[in-house]
Amino acid sequence: MPALRRSDWYDLARDLNWNLSYVTEDEAFPEVMSNNYGITPNEKWWGWDEPYKVSYREYVHNQHGKDASVYSVNSVIARSRMFEELDPGWKSAIVAHYGAIAVPEYLAGLGESRMGRFGRAAAWRNMALFGTLDETRHGQIQTYFPYTLLDKEPRMDWAHKALHTNEWGAIAARHLFDDMFTANDAVSTAIQLTFTFETGFTNLQFLGMAADAMEVGDLDFGALISSIQTDESRHAQQGEPTVKILVENGYADVAQRLVDHMFWRSWHVFALLTGLSMDYYTPLEHRSHSFKEFMQEWIVKQFLDQFRDFGLEPSWYWESHFLPELDWYHHALHLGVWFWRPTVWWNPDAGVSPAEREWLEEKYPGWNDTFGVYWDTIGDNLRRGEETKTLPETFPMVCNMCQIPVVTPAGFRAGKLESPEPQIHIHEGRQYVFCSEPCKWVFQLNPARFAGHTSVVDRFLGGEIQPPTIPGALEWMGLSPEEMGQDATNYAWAFEGFEAPGAAAS
Amino acid sequence: MTTMRRRKARTWSLLGDVKRKPSAYEAVTAKFHYHFRRDPAPWELDPEMALNRWYLDHREGSPFNVDDWEGYRDPAKLTYKDYVTLQHERELYVDGLVDRFEAVDHAASYSDGWTAAFASLVVPLRFPIHVLQMASLYVGQMAPSSFITNAAHFQAADEMRRLQRIAYWTQVVANAKDASIATTEAAREPWESGEAWQPLRETLETMLVAYDWGEAFVALNLGVKPAFDAMTNVALRDLARRNEDEFIALLCEEFDRDAARSRAWTTALVRYALERDPALADVVNGWLETWAPKGIAAVEAMGPLFEQAPEPVAGEELVEVAREAQREIAGAAGVA
Ligand SMILES: [Fe+2]
Ligand SMILES: [Fe+2]
Repeated sequence: MPALRRSDWYDLARDLNWNLSYVTEDEAFPEVMSNNYGITPNEKWWGWDEPYKVSYREYVHNQHGKDASVYSVNSVIARSRMFEELDPGWKSAIVAHYGAIAVPEYLAGLGESRMGRFGRAAAWRNMALFGTLDETRHGQIQTYFPYTLLDKEPRMDWAHKALHTNEWGAIAARHLFDDMFTANDAVSTAIQLTFTFETGFTNLQFLGMAADAMEVGDLDFGALISSIQTDESRHAQQGEPTVKILVENGYADVAQRLVDHMFWRSWHVFALLTGLSMDYYTPLEHRSHSFKEFMQEWIVKQFLDQFRDFGLEPSWYWESHFLPELDWYHHALHLGVWFWRPTVWWNPDAGVSPAEREWLEEKYPGWNDTFGVYWDTIGDNLRRGEETKTLPETFPMVCNMCQIPVVTPAGFRAGKLESPEPQIHIHEGRQYVFCSEPCKWVFQLNPARFAGHTSVVDRFLGGEIQPPTIPGALEWMGLSPEEMGQDATNYAWAFEGFEAPGAAAS
Repeated sequence: MTTMRRRKARTWSLLGDVKRKPSAYEAVTAKFHYHFRRDPAPWELDPEMALNRWYLDHREGSPFNVDDWEGYRDPAKLTYKDYVTLQHERELYVDGLVDRFEAVDHAASYSDGWTAAFASLVVPLRFPIHVLQMASLYVGQMAPSSFITNAAHFQAADEMRRLQRIAYWTQVVANAKDASIATTEAAREPWESGEAWQPLRETLETMLVAYDWGEAFVALNLGVKPAFDAMTNVALRDLARRNEDEFIALLCEEFDRDAARSRAWTTALVRYALERDPALADVVNGWLETWAPKGIAAVEAMGPLFEQAPEPVAGEELVEVAREAQREIAGAAGVA
């Protein structure tokens, strides 16, 4: 062990800021890669101070140990029958997770690398270098694990290919993550990726899912994501000092806007991914909390603390739009995803057996009146052998911001929206549809960033998808007939407590 | 049964119907940059938004391009796991080295002359190494395939590695000999205004704004870094030995292992590109006409610092090792 402590020499390795002479600051830190939001010269950023410190030698020593232990869990489990014995709903949750998260994590490494080059203080650039390495780890480990499961579950292929496709969920993921880090400048990335997304939402996804994984006996996934979370909680700390510098220089409004923008967007994709997993796909007996409870405990509380600590306000839509959506939005998405199941790469688990419905009603009073009635009809159709009535013939509208189907009628039915209609907005002669006020607001903040993008529905109507039919669209999305989602339990839930055709109810 | 039965997959479907099962390295690296040459733009936003334009101009639009980058392999075939395992072991070695030299109070044995040489030559190196770290990250984030990106990102980490060991030893020497060298100013002042450092700073600052991905790669890994590494890993090693600083000499040798890995993936990449398109030799050489001399000019100006040491390395000798390093890598890359 070297005799000096890290703190004895660490400042020498990070106080590496200097005044450029041979090129200008604008040349070396162009706005597109590093928006200083008017805080110039760069010297004003030099006090950037990371709360968590680590040296290179500590990093490789620690990470070597972490990787060795996670990969050894994987290799032991690969030789067992653990995966085969997992609940089908849970398998769907992890198939969905890997597809939406694995490659984007790797790409978060590009955002980290951008901060490592274009961050405006050397200490920040150093932390971002570790972030770059971390995200390389997360991308690789979360593709390696599903890779080892390919022979047991062919859908694991989507861990690698989802982002190559035009599957609608993959488009939504790309749109979010490109906005957040791959196509974002260094300063905004620090606030939107690390401060907003990683300190908040990945906590929920990783800690929540890790707890659930251990509950259902998926030791592989549990070990994987808890190990990842230890990296996230370190590199997520790049946000705080960046927010501080904006606030200290009188740009709290900029920080606020960046947070509000990305919090809303993250919420929508997490409702889709985590909301469904927690409240419908995880086996009932292993659910420790409802999604709403998790959101309240981890996200709502944490963000309110964070806002207060940094002199920011809760987002303008907090009370009016965000909190009300906790009661209905992911339930509506679940219904839609299950109904349009051929359009997703995992097998949606309806999760509405009688016992599960009881749990849903208890956790979300009024669930039966708002959502149960639809499931009643679907159940009736299935019991009558009319499966086709439970499958889609048309496409829903899709939000031009979050790229997720518009489910406003359900919000209206739940008594949480004043109208079932989506938000319509005209910009330079083109009509845009938004699922919510905040999605429209994000667009209006910076139309040049979003305006020229076309949603799945725009492309469908624009003739880009041929033939313009459901099968044509599914092919365009990259889904082969074997890959299209099916009900995870082959409709077993619909017959629980009823007499199944040709079999006596038990 | 929840999934229709299909033929068992040997590998990712995107890697094709392969006869040879891809290695683990390939399975976690191939085709991660789905956004390269994506239609209509890399990122799923307005195709004309600023960062789409940046990538279209500087990556897709670079003259240094071939029909397919996915066939390229880093000869070291490093995954993240391999990288941290490798460097964990190498850092254990350096930890041991530090222990050994701290146990004999090596820094206390520094002569005043060598302490002064160390202060003027080694201490400020943190700055240029940090720039090399920044530049490698740029190459990594702009590269068209993950096989290249990862190698460049690991290279950036290697720069931080040596920077921190220098920072550490600076503090050790400061404690033993001269507290004033362990300050920001002791490094920044020469970096910003020391005569010997200005050509190096000019080279590195201008290299930072070479935004075409191919030029950024060639400037850094074929032009500037080989010359810089020859100075810090070879000439400085010799200088340290002549001045009885075996610790610094061994450290330089250790860092050259990382530099050798950089040279290996660099030459493999250029060779890969030239095999696909021999005309790219002119593109690479065109950039090298700018960046090789800049690398030499940077090193040449550092000559007086090498000559001031009690037992010097001559300026011409320094320049010659830098030139030799550039010639060697150009030859190995097939562009000499
Ligand atoms: Fe991550
Ligand atoms: Fe939306």
